[in-house]
Amino acid sequence: MKRFAKALYIAIIVLFLYLPIGTLMVLSFNESKSMTSWQGFSVRWYREMFNNQELMEALGNTFTIALWASIIATLTGVLACVAMNAMTDRKRNIFMGLNNIPLLNADIVTGISLMISFLLFGISLNYGTVLFAHVTFCIPYVILSVMPKFRQLENHTYEAALDLGASPAYAFFKVVLPDLMPGIASGFLLSFTMSVDDFVITHFTRGAGINTLSTLIYSQLKIGVRPTLFALSTVIFLVVLVILLISNYVRSGEKDKKPGKTGKTGEKEYIYRSGLSTGRKVLVGILAVLIIAAAVKFTPSTPGEVGENGVVYVYNFGDYIDPELTEQFFEETGYTVVCDYFDTNEEMYPVIKNNTADYDVICASDYMIDKMIREDLLMEIEFGQIPNMQYLAQNIRDFMEEFDPGMFYSAPHTWGTYGIIYNTELVDEEDFEGDVSWGILWDEKYAGKIIMPNSIREADMVAAKLLGYSMNTLDEEEMKAITRKLIDQKPLVYSYANDNARDLMIGDNASMAVITSGDVLYAQEDNENLAYVIPVEGTEVWTDCWAVPKSCKNFDGAMAWINFMYSYDAAVANFEYLTYAIPNTQLDDYVYEDYIEGETILSEIEIVNPSEEILARCETLKNLGAEGDDMYSRYWKEFKSR
Amino acid sequence: MAKDTTLIQMKDISKSYDGEIVLDEFDLNIRENEFITLLGPSGCGKTTTLRILGGFTKPDTGRVIFEGTDITDMPANKRPLNTVFQKYSLFPHMNVAENIAFGLRISGKSESYINDKIKYALKLVNLAGYENRAVTSLSGGQQQRIAIARAIVNEPRVLLLDEPLGALDLKLRQEMQYELIRLKNELGITFVYTHDQEEALTMSDTVVVMNKGYIQQMGTPEQIYNEPENAFVADFIGDSNIFDGIMIEDRVVEICVHKFPCVDEGFGRNKPVDVVIRPEDIIIDKPGRGVIDGVVTSNVFIGVHYEMCVDAGGSEWLCQNTRSFPVGTEVSLNVDPENIQIMNKPQSEDEEAISLEEVLGEELKEE
Repeated sequence: MKRFAKALYIAIIVLFLYLPIGTLMVLSFNESKSMTSWQGFSVRWYREMFNNQELMEALGNTFTIALWASIIATLTGVLACVAMNAMTDRKRNIFMGLNNIPLLNADIVTGISLMISFLLFGISLNYGTVLFAHVTFCIPYVILSVMPKFRQLENHTYEAALDLGASPAYAFFKVVLPDLMPGIASGFLLSFTMSVDDFVITHFTRGAGINTLSTLIYSQLKIGVRPTLFALSTVIFLVVLVILLISNYVRSGEKDKKPGKTGKTGEKEYIYRSGLSTGRKVLVGILAVLIIAAAVKFTPSTPGEVGENGVVYVYNFGDYIDPELTEQFFEETGYTVVCDYFDTNEEMYPVIKNNTADYDVICASDYMIDKMIREDLLMEIEFGQIPNMQYLAQNIRDFMEEFDPGMFYSAPHTWGTYGIIYNTELVDEEDFEGDVSWGILWDEKYAGKIIMPNSIREADMVAAKLLGYSMNTLDEEEMKAITRKLIDQKPLVYSYANDNARDLMIGDNASMAVITSGDVLYAQEDNENLAYVIPVEGTEVWTDCWAVPKSCKNFDGAMAWINFMYSYDAAVANFEYLTYAIPNTQLDDYVYEDYIEGETILSEIEIVNPSEEILARCETLKNLGAEGDDMYSRYWKEFKSR
Repeated sequence: MAKDTTLIQMKDISKSYDGEIVLDEFDLNIRENEFITLLGPSGCGKTTTLRILGGFTKPDTGRVIFEGTDITDMPANKRPLNTVFQKYSLFPHMNVAENIAFGLRISGKSESYINDKIKYALKLVNLAGYENRAVTSLSGGQQQRIAIARAIVNEPRVLLLDEPLGALDLKLRQEMQYELIRLKNELGITFVYTHDQEEALTMSDTVVVMNKGYIQQMGTPEQIYNEPENAFVADFIGDSNIFDGIMIEDRVVEICVHKFPCVDEGFGRNKPVDVVIRPEDIIIDKPGRGVIDGVVTSNVFIGVHYEMCVDAGGSEWLCQNTRSFPVGTEVSLNVDPENIQIMNKPQSEDEEAISLEEVLGEELKEE
């Protein structure tokens, strides 16, 4: 019984530790994009991963930064230890204290203070600043792992070496350093992993076009993590595993040489060989060569090939265009494109506002365009240079008036509506025949089967529309009614979810969910029982637009980029990649391979192209001002606390 | 064995750490091929002396002269001396052969020369065939011998050994002492050796007894043992009875109100003195037959002889004898005149001066 309990205990621990990684590895071979349903074995994500240049570049950046940072930090740290070792105890303790403070400091403080310092001293953020930042936070780890080794040193070995005629340098390298090696190695490895892991500090110190894996993945959260990242994570995990196994194998070999318990092993004569055996040396050598080769191959990924017309810096939501378009743009126009990514408008805004990096084109949502126009952060677009603008869909222009009156500053990239996605197998068909009301989300029949958005404005929008209010209402009484309505609904809700609503629906976990139209075609690809409806009360129409910030250095390039985005090829590529509606009339006749209906002309798909009638009842998200924001978050808290 | 030519001269060496004097105007001459032992309790300055010789510590004042050349400022790696450290200080990541070859490789010797030397040195320290062993797998005594081998392959003129036997157990220590003597005789080089125990007497040509940075006495082992110059030396070297006595007149000393004949002269009349009597020199006889009567209060067998305490004349007398006298036996004690060592009270001695300074210093600080 006791043995069984022990075994169970270990099994549970192992399960907790490795189940998540196992899940991820399995999903990386899933034919489907879904995280919830298995649709057959495939290596397409691995193929996509290796073809995704951005991903490969970020991978390269991550490992070169980690490698250089840990090499520099190790050298610096060891030298610091040499100096500190020679100090009096008092002084050394002071320095150790100074060393430990950054370790305990929150990453966000380190990151922000580094960013401010760089900007203050006029250093523009780039690959170098990230590297510098990583070296900075790695040094304390090196000192922390090397210093104890110094203290343990057999004190007299250094003097013994001098005594035997060694110069101080020779004595250090031949005698002291080998003794320190375990500490140095662990300091190096610790630095390396800390550097690979880091997101916060990198996020604040990176410049335009520099992404590491962590920042790239984070920026992709807006439209959901693609399974290519599972593939990548699997590869990284396996590589780390192999390195770990090799280093363990090497180290176990070293241990064998020192039996220690000579008493127990008896009179057996051991032949001791110094250092590592030949086989192990070869292994270590191969490893070193591989690492160096990788470093050389990926070293600073500043644009290798600069186009004749210079570089266009694009600041976009992560994974929000077909990645192959940048290459095509380069070939067609001669501009090299450097893309940089953010996750939310709120993340992009301070970068532009504070001018921490110079971008030529940005992508931003409607309400943010409004805000930036008011704050004079945008330049007027020269529509004369954008002939393709003629293809801008007519039905979106009215909505643009709401955030960019006269349409001077923005050019829509994608647009969409909010509506209800439902599973035809899990709902009564008659409920969704004819006009559907938002009220269906309050139907007790579907208790525990409803997914609501987990964000203030979208959740409030649903209740406001049902009650016949504007989604931008500033009326306190209406706000109270909205909050009451949402509280009433609480017992019926299966989950409040943003990104994973789509996956929960694909996995048949709920009957219906509030979702943006862009995710519907994507979801249908994996679950053909899903359908989408815009409730009769109307909804929110959102638009994400290209705009040019005042920091623009390459205006012509920016114009060329926007013009290119409106070309037929780019529009088709983006639509196929994102399945978000692209407001481009050239796509009206495009034949889409619908997963449910088969070949369909795009303009006939309501999800992408809602009727005039419905659009008439829609509005866009507006800035509420500070007081309005306060009121909304106050009531949101009230709702959340119930 | 030691030649008369002076090899090393230490002149007026002073050294203090954080205001604490470790060596004070220290002078020492070391002769060619001498086995010289610096003896004293820990903190007496013997290790500092050795470190100054080795070049690891710079003296505050004074010079070190090696064969007429001033080497005071010469770095350790250039000196023609090699040191065997207290804790062996073998290089743990190298095997035995690599440890021994370390110095030879630096001086650029050929591989065949190095191999021959390693073989020779290992044979010399009775560890032939240990070339490929990891040093961490060796016992303390073996490590010590490797440390010695590592030093002697460089053919130093002088070998400095800093308490090399301190970490070994008694049996091993005795064995190693004989090996050191044999080595010294075979190699014909100068040994400077430090130790904190009397047993070092057996192998030394010259013994320097140190305390608190001063030389208390320097001489052959026989001189040090038989004619200690002061109570410190007498107490430190071997077991002794040290009594407060009064020199009544030449050749008569009073101990515990009993007069003993002795051989010393010239102390004056009724002069207070220290009297040293070695325990093995006390003759135990039947009551009434000796000078002073007493009772045996303890009796311990310690190998060759018995060690007994006799309460006589109000003092405790430590005696050693091959005959056993059970506790409670009434005995009478006597000492041959030539075995009574008379010494002046140490008021004028360096040692006493220092302790006085210390007391004064403390008082000054308190003020």
